[in-house]
Amino acid sequence: MQVIKPRASLLSNYEVLDLLRELESDYLLKSKTAVRVKKEDEAAGVTAQRNYDPLEDISENLRTMEVEAIQYLSADYQPTRMQTPQGIAQLVKSITPYGLTKPEKLQIVNLAPTEAVELYVIVEELEDRLGETMQEVLDAVQASLTQPVSASAPQDAGGAPGAEVVIRREEMEVEVYEEDAQWDHAANDVEFVDAGEGAGVEGDLDLDDD
Amino acid sequence: MFVLSIIKDTIPIHPSRFGVPPEQALINELNKKYANRVLHDVGLCVCVFDIAEAGEGKVRYGDGFLWYTVVFRMTVFRPFASEVIIAKVKSSDENGIQLSVGFFDDMFIPLIYLPQPSAFDPNERAHFWLPSSEETSTHALLDSPLSDRMYIDQGEIVRVRVEKDEFYDDEPGPPKATEGVQVKREARRPPYSITCSIAEQGLGPLAWWKAAEVETMDEG
Repeated sequence: MQVIKPRASLLSNYEVLDLLRELESDYLLKSKTAVRVKKEDEAAGVTAQRNYDPLEDISENLRTMEVEAIQYLSADYQPTRMQTPQGIAQLVKSITPYGLTKPEKLQIVNLAPTEAVELYVIVEELEDRLGETMQEVLDAVQASLTQPVSASAPQDAGGAPGAEVVIRREEMEVEVYEEDAQWDHAANDVEFVDAGEGAGVEGDLDLDDD
Repeated sequence: MFVLSIIKDTIPIHPSRFGVPPEQALINELNKKYANRVLHDVGLCVCVFDIAEAGEGKVRYGDGFLWYTVVFRMTVFRPFASEVIIAKVKSSDENGIQLSVGFFDDMFIPLIYLPQPSAFDPNERAHFWLPSSEETSTHALLDSPLSDRMYIDQGEIVRVRVEKDEFYDDEPGPPKATEGVQVKREARRPPYSITCSIAEQGLGPLAWWKAAEVETMDEG
């Protein structure tokens, strides 16, 4: 093993959450297919052991990581549940003119400060550097969130993304029934394309040098 | 708090996995090897982000494995110094506060990074902060009225600043003595630990700063 670059680029929490959710739904899909294949085998009276079980390839460690990290990243004290890829890309664009450093921008995306105190913690010497434009940054953050924090029904904010995930999973289930016994092709289709939703954000945060 | 690391490694693929598309088989093997493990001076590996480059699989003499040389990008948990992150209080004791982010637990706030003046209340097993108090001795602080104290309770969500991180390479040591001789195990140091601070305006339990008061901000 050789570490070529320990810090090639920074990732926002939202990107990591997105990646983990993708892995999670991939896992659910596989485990469902595995159960179904097993049942079919039993029904057809096949007793021979299949020599390959897709679930064997998913390590315990990865599952632990997935479950715990998703739990942390989508907890109700995190802004990720109100963020969208478009919103984040827009936010990064709109805070460019204020001369913030990359780590500061990353933290603004990760923590989505909506109050001045929160911004004080992230940006050093905030008053000297931003002065009057501080409120504009806070407004930009507020605009990037789908459900404004100050909305009258904050509990709805949590419901929406959850529902979205459910829908996505249902779509996948339908897919399973269409492609009979071709589970491995479904797995092949899942690729971590760099030019995905978060690409704009990631590119912007790329570290040029170490 | 997450970074991408580019790593190069040689990975064997077992013949029973030859039916799986090579890219997927490699990602599976890489995740098996790295996920949830600490790489020295790199951080805690979360999962493979993508594969950048993979050579042709080669069969070596002696086994039926296909050996691939892979360059891949790994999602790694490694908050940088001075980064602000949100964590949960796991426990408190006389030496400080233990924090957790769910998938990683070796984070702590030592006494010097607590807001001053503060003290540890052994009855509540929690630290508390006494804002706008002149007292400095622990005894005087513990005599203060309960209503003035701002406790940092277990399970509370806190905003913390990462002060420094430390890697410790725990060598396996000499080969274990044969049966019958019990080797005494000393307490192991975590391979990767993060020191955090809440001694600053805006840091600490989220509830403290929810209704941001202008006066407290001006002080800082």
